[in-house]
Amino acid sequence: MKRKFLYVFLLLALILSACGVGQSADAPAVVRIGWGASPDTLNPGNAILAVSYTIFELVYDSMYDLNLDGTFTLSIAESAEVSDDGTVWTFKIKDGLKWHDGQPLTAEDVAFTYNLYLNTPEYPYLNGYYTTYFDSIESTANNEVVLTLTEAIPNIESQLVFLYILPKHVWENVDKLEYENFEMMGSGPFKMAEYVQNEFVRLTANKEHFATPPKVDEVIFQTFDNQDALVQAIKTGQVDMITEMSNTAVANLKAEANVEVISGAPFSPGVTDIIFNQMLPENCPVDEGGLCTGHPALQDRNVRLAIAHATNKQQLIDVILLGLGTPGLTLIPDGLGVWYNDSLVDYEFDVAKANQILDDAGYADTNGDGVRETPDGSLPLTFRLNWPSDSIDTPRMAELLTDMWKQIGITLQPQAIDPDALTALCCPTFDFDIMIWGWVSDPDPSALLYVYTTDAIPYGSSETGYANPRYDELYNQQQVTLDFEERKEIVWEMQKIVHDDVVYVIPYYAQSVQAFRTDRFTGWITDQDKIELSDVSSLVRIEPVK
Amino acid sequence: MFTILFVILLNFFLFRVLPGDPARAGVRDPRLKADAVEALRVRFGLDKPIINCFNSLNPIQIGDCGVNPLDTQFFIYVRNLLQGELGFSYHTNRPVAEVLAERLWNTVLLIGVGQILAIILGMGFGIFAAWRARTSIDYVAVGTSLLLWSLPTFWLGILLLFWGSANGLPIAGKATPGMSSMPLLQQWGDIARHMFLPTLTYTIVFMGEYTLIMRSSLIDVLSEDYILTAKAKGLSAFQILKDHALKNAMLPLVTVIAINLGFTVAGAIQIESVFSWPGLGSAIFEAVVRRDYPILQGAFLLIAVAVILANFLADLTYSYLDPRVQAE
Repeated sequence: MKRKFLYVFLLLALILSACGVGQSADAPAVVRIGWGASPDTLNPGNAILAVSYTIFELVYDSMYDLNLDGTFTLSIAESAEVSDDGTVWTFKIKDGLKWHDGQPLTAEDVAFTYNLYLNTPEYPYLNGYYTTYFDSIESTANNEVVLTLTEAIPNIESQLVFLYILPKHVWENVDKLEYENFEMMGSGPFKMAEYVQNEFVRLTANKEHFATPPKVDEVIFQTFDNQDALVQAIKTGQVDMITEMSNTAVANLKAEANVEVISGAPFSPGVTDIIFNQMLPENCPVDEGGLCTGHPALQDRNVRLAIAHATNKQQLIDVILLGLGTPGLTLIPDGLGVWYNDSLVDYEFDVAKANQILDDAGYADTNGDGVRETPDGSLPLTFRLNWPSDSIDTPRMAELLTDMWKQIGITLQPQAIDPDALTALCCPTFDFDIMIWGWVSDPDPSALLYVYTTDAIPYGSSETGYANPRYDELYNQQQVTLDFEERKEIVWEMQKIVHDDVVYVIPYYAQSVQAFRTDRFTGWITDQDKIELSDVSSLVRIEPVK
Repeated sequence: MFTILFVILLNFFLFRVLPGDPARAGVRDPRLKADAVEALRVRFGLDKPIINCFNSLNPIQIGDCGVNPLDTQFFIYVRNLLQGELGFSYHTNRPVAEVLAERLWNTVLLIGVGQILAIILGMGFGIFAAWRARTSIDYVAVGTSLLLWSLPTFWLGILLLFWGSANGLPIAGKATPGMSSMPLLQQWGDIARHMFLPTLTYTIVFMGEYTLIMRSSLIDVLSEDYILTAKAKGLSAFQILKDHALKNAMLPLVTVIAINLGFTVAGAIQIESVFSWPGLGSAIFEAVVRRDYPILQGAFLLIAVAVILANFLADLTYSYLDPRVQAE
């Protein structure tokens, strides 16, 4: 009887598989992409998740395109001119641009969009961050957009690159906050065809795009909640490309015929940081709920320096990332290209030297329990170590760090904490000793450089409590330095300062790993500093394998 | 009714005891400035006191007891609910009712088919095993059922996923993107293909449980005197089962099914995440991570109603199966 049921099941399976759609030679070229996420919203103003921005990049145009090497190129404008004082930008919009519905895209749409972002404080990034320096925006009869800034800034490109141009004829009639934008009327190289949240996004090619008409006909992003399924899907050819995978799957997938695995700095480079609470009691932001219970030894640069010397970054990379990462220096990741100060020399892994530093600074193990005490003998060097419980890699790192730092007489009390609860402990509460967390970087270094500033302490962006007037001064200076080389020098000097002060120990910058099937499409861009196969640069370039 | 009222109250406070700020929702981004977070809090109404005298429950912040009680988060929540308004998701900005309806339908589809198959197969095997009690067939059936019941769902799911993907079955989602333009029959065929693996997993896991319960309860009944009487009357085995034994043996199974049904509206979270099935379970999981209060409140209300409804149905079935149990 049991066998009979099995037969019924198998029969059912056969019937069902017969229902599958056959593929003929003339079938449209459909790129199927597997990813582990789904856009939070298609309303660009409300969006928070990076995957939403991936879709915006494909469906919308913006003033500038961000290239994989970190540079920018003008997109919908044929020229950009700036006044002598640097506060008035005039963009001449190209003639003949069209929305997907055939209506013309003009300077009026651009001005409307920028004003929309500027006047909607509920838009967390597009208003809160990218329009900070906007004063007013107007369009002229000559198809020009005149953007007036409150002050001259050096990074107008990175301020405008995510401000996707929206069609005035749609958006002037909708509620800018509640509009879900499922139709997504855009002008970019792909058109929105169908969207089911948490299932898939289906885009069709806009073969009439003015700059980069795609060669394929359709792109589908399919959501996978399960990383094993993602890997299995590319192995069996259910998808043509996957944007992420666990590092443990890499070796296995590399052995697969017709699949190529690539790794490199992610499109939005990330950084993993070991955070020391060095908030001085006298600076504690009590009004913002500051408790400032950090271990006093961590306010001593010698202790942090010793910890830096006792941290074997290469081992962390090899064990945790299986080699898929680069050793870290400061919060500015190497994926940011020119902004990354590669002239800095890291503190070498040297346990003896680390011990020497602690000995010299007066941290001795007076009671012989293997743990050093503060110079006055009052406190052992026992630190709480916390990390967000949703991180898969960090428990292993905590274990490795516990062993490494034990060598220099430091004991850790590791504990994972719910990310939201950790945020509550972190900033500006400063109710912790050491935390392991991470950041994702904006294309411009300003965002992460801000984290070190004194200003960031009450706002909860500073996680260390580090305060250095010289650094703050340089931060403000680089914000308004228009000359590229000059600004780069300042940004490099800032990295040197925080590296010298050992504000953080940055174990690594993790790489992103992606894979594509070599028997389906060719032309993926794999030779740049950063990799992102789902970026518009690859998707407009690939074509079916003949 | 009282239960639902209690759930409505509990739902509101339960989630607000969680630490964390929904306006930040675990987002760590230096680009997210304090002004933007404040604007979001105002938009979601989170700047208002929770209830008189309390501004926040975690950490507990004592507020002004003199505030207008009509202008608190709690009152607005109750008022909206009475108007049938579940609010908007903080995370996706979509109406909660719309999101939940979408997800509920997916879950009901998966769980419904899975339950029906599990009930039919489980009952079948259970009856068969009880009828052939203490033979080698019975031992095999009991052994297999125990094994199936104790299998970790996600592990079985992953195994089936590997097997299925090697045999060309879809392993993620509910439908092939682009199918919506196809004829309805093909669309349904496509959904059925996508449902095959998760449903199979679900059926296998629950089948074992039902087999065991059916078997033991039927064996109990079969040892009753009136069964002996029936045998003595010369009734066939089939007649004894159908007319005399089965109805009585069904009671425990109905109880378990009702309990399972009520709770599985919450979605078989493990199955849903293995096969990327867009059901209620994964929606709840995501909402917890994002502190998406409106989704959580809506979903838990839905689950409470489902549990109550399932129990009510079980009670009705009792009185049908056993006339001694009468609805008062």
